[in-house]
Amino acid sequence: MEKAVKPSAKTQKNASERRWGMVIDLDRCTGCQACVVACHAENNVPVVGEREAASGRTMHWIRIERYWEGEYPNVKARFMPVLCQQCTQAPCEPVCPVFATYHTAEGLNAQIYNRCIGTRFCGSACPYKVRVFNWFRPEFPEPLGEQLNPDVSERSRGIIEKCSFCIQRLRRAELDASASGNPLADGAVQPACLQSCPSSALIFGDMNDPESHVSRLALSHRAFRLLDFLGTDPAVIYLKGGETNV
Amino acid sequence: MSEAGRLLAVFRESTATADAIDALHETGVQDDQIVVMTGVPYPERAFGRHVEWLRLPHIVLAGAAGGLIFGLFLAVITPHLYRLDIGGHPTVSFAPAAIITFVFTMMATIISTFLGVLWEMNFPEFGTKFYHRLVTDGYLAVLVEFEAPLENRVRLILETHGGEHIERPERQTL
Amino acid sequence: MSDQPEPSGGKPTPPESLEPSEQVRGRLLLDQRTDREIDEAVLRPMFETGPRFWILVGILGAIVAWGIYAWIYQIYWGMGVAGINRPVYWGLYIATFVFWVGISHAGTMISAVLRLLKADWRRPITRGAEAMTSFALMMAGLYPLIHLGRVWKFYWMIPYPNNRFMWPNFQSPLMWDMVAIFTYLIGSTLYLYLALIPDMAMARDHTDGWRYKLYRGMALGWRGTQGEWHKLHRALSIFSVVIIPVFLSVHSIVSWDFAVTIQPRWHSTIFAPYFVIGAVYSGLAALAAILVIVRRTMRLQEFLRSEHFDALGKLVMVAGMGWIYFWFSGFIVEWYGNDPVIRELIHEEISGGLAPFFWLQMTANVLPVLFLAFRRIRTNPAFLLALALLINVGMYTERALIVFGNLERNYLPFNWGTYRPTWVEVSVIAMTFAGFILLYTLFSRIVPYVPVWEIKEGRLRYSLRRIGRLLVPTAAEIE
Repeated sequence: MEKAVKPSAKTQKNASERRWGMVIDLDRCTGCQACVVACHAENNVPVVGEREAASGRTMHWIRIERYWEGEYPNVKARFMPVLCQQCTQAPCEPVCPVFATYHTAEGLNAQIYNRCIGTRFCGSACPYKVRVFNWFRPEFPEPLGEQLNPDVSERSRGIIEKCSFCIQRLRRAELDASASGNPLADGAVQPACLQSCPSSALIFGDMNDPESHVSRLALSHRAFRLLDFLGTDPAVIYLKGGETNV
Repeated sequence: MSEAGRLLAVFRESTATADAIDALHETGVQDDQIVVMTGVPYPERAFGRHVEWLRLPHIVLAGAAGGLIFGLFLAVITPHLYRLDIGGHPTVSFAPAAIITFVFTMMATIISTFLGVLWEMNFPEFGTKFYHRLVTDGYLAVLVEFEAPLENRVRLILETHGGEHIERPERQTL
Repeated sequence: MSDQPEPSGGKPTPPESLEPSEQVRGRLLLDQRTDREIDEAVLRPMFETGPRFWILVGILGAIVAWGIYAWIYQIYWGMGVAGINRPVYWGLYIATFVFWVGISHAGTMISAVLRLLKADWRRPITRGAEAMTSFALMMAGLYPLIHLGRVWKFYWMIPYPNNRFMWPNFQSPLMWDMVAIFTYLIGSTLYLYLALIPDMAMARDHTDGWRYKLYRGMALGWRGTQGEWHKLHRALSIFSVVIIPVFLSVHSIVSWDFAVTIQPRWHSTIFAPYFVIGAVYSGLAALAAILVIVRRTMRLQEFLRSEHFDALGKLVMVAGMGWIYFWFSGFIVEWYGNDPVIRELIHEEISGGLAPFFWLQMTANVLPVLFLAFRRIRTNPAFLLALALLINVGMYTERALIVFGNLERNYLPFNWGTYRPTWVEVSVIAMTFAGFILLYTLFSRIVPYVPVWEIKEGRLRYSLRRIGRLLVPTAAEIE
């Protein structure tokens, strides 16, 4: 029996035609962190510095979680890229007192930076702890200030932020598609992490399209979702690595 | 109608005061022409007097109803005014709506009780009034308004029942 | 006293003069002082403020000023100056917030619940308790502002029609918090003020100068007519009834800040009653501590007697027993279920890095319950003060462990963390403690601390009655 592991579209009130989702193939991930760097570059995510990182205040929208397995000399490292799971039943959304986070019709968990007043309730409610907070004013020491992406707003201090599935790229691709009249092709939209992954471990696309690459991969026997038992119904699907228990 | 006179007397004890008031009633002084001021609450019936009908409970109920409506509006209507979908929950659900409605009902009840009681007591009132300072020292002050011919009888009643400092009251700023 | 003939079946009683026992003689409401003497005894501390009082005010003011500086420092530089991080997004600020809301519950317990139950030992305490509630809520209300990342936008949580056409999210527990705490603050302050009006009239009649003007303004023209008393009584009864569901709901709502998330050890249905009973416990203990101190510093030994501390101590003990029951109910279910993350959290709490705090919490919350079972300890001011402060230390630790102890671990071990408060957090928290004590100290000298009219009303009800060889106090139901 084929196990369809995909986020349910029917729980969406205003379900549009598209349902963005991501598949992460853990067999291909080498833990190189290129996706992390690319995300920082694309989304104007600041680098917090050594001291703040040691205090647990890194601001990676996508992070590589590394777990060690086994005893020396048979030690293995398992890598798992964790980003905002864009949960359909997101526990972070109902708790924001000012509606700074809500669910779009395409299944994205959107964060509205200029509405956030920094209660950090969403950060505590997220079971994956993917939401990061701007503890100080974000700084971009030279020459990082030269490469800021004009499509993404710079956040001030006191605001929560997280992976948005590169919504600026989604919107740009949709505008281009409607301007040119051609439908949006599968694989035409690539978030920054995908684009820079050397081993193509991340795949992105429309889960509502049964022919798309992500939909076909989601049917794999290796497919699972992180912390599925919590009922958050994430849109990020992982494929088990070959010989791992992850 | 002849001119009204006023007398103020202070008593030390409640039974004497009640007897004096009974005697005043018999003399023809109406209940609403007598004002009893005390530093400690005594029930009206302790002096054989008429218990006032209060509008306060009605004010409180009206306030509670207003709070209920306002709470319902905030909880049930405002999410639809600028609709934002929240993952996992419908736009309006029972439990949060119940909490908000309950709290606003209580808030309105409390505020309307306070404002209602002040309104019904005609507070704040900083003008001059008839008063005697000994009231807060435990005395019971009786202020009687009567038609002029009755003055001597009223004075006699107050004296025989143990009234002290019997005098024509002056309006004082409180 | 009434000299009823005894239905003794014929045996003649020896004609001895009956003396009330010492315990009975010591009762406040049977005292033979005149009303004027009581007035003066209560007004005296308001006039006698010695140098020690002003030194205390100065120290407290300095701590508050330093705390305000720390808060402004935090607003200027950002929340990063506090010790919170990912995953411990909430730290001491929220723990102290919950603590202050908890403290505020004792006031209503004493003045509303005991008024409805017609327990006369509440009479000298109600004003002090209600003041504690109001000031604790004021301090609590600061924390939702203090912990905001962008505090200058706090007003977006207020539901008002605006040019964005946006409303706040009423499904968020923080919104429930805001309205509930606001309601409770308004309720307890108005309740405090209403019951104060007759005593403002008393103070107005016995003072002059700036005091006279102040009390005259606050007395609103009160004369004590029967109509006024009747309306006041009715309003106080309505308040007493209405404020009880408010106070029960406020701390339940605060507990739901944690319980509605799916964070392990937070997502527990027992949180609402557990928090409420913990609040009553810590609040009553704080009240006992305050009363012991006030009795000594304001020389109110005449009004706050061993009968009051005895009864209050019993209430604290019962609340403590309730707390233990609810704590155990929550704990056994979590421990038995063996969920891996919860098991790790419990281990961390009982024998890991948080163990010193956990054992402090349990000792400080459980031991006093045992000691308070003894009347000698309840009525000994020094012991009661020590136990009460110990209870509050324990309850504060409990709040802290719940708020940030349980955020240190979660489902993905890569994201476990630790929390260390910084000087900014400690300063701001000290500011609220000093601010509370400062407000309370000033209040106790500006306003008659003991509700004089309630004591006089109580004395009107109480008399001595003979039952056999005993002279017993009797309360008349004249309401």
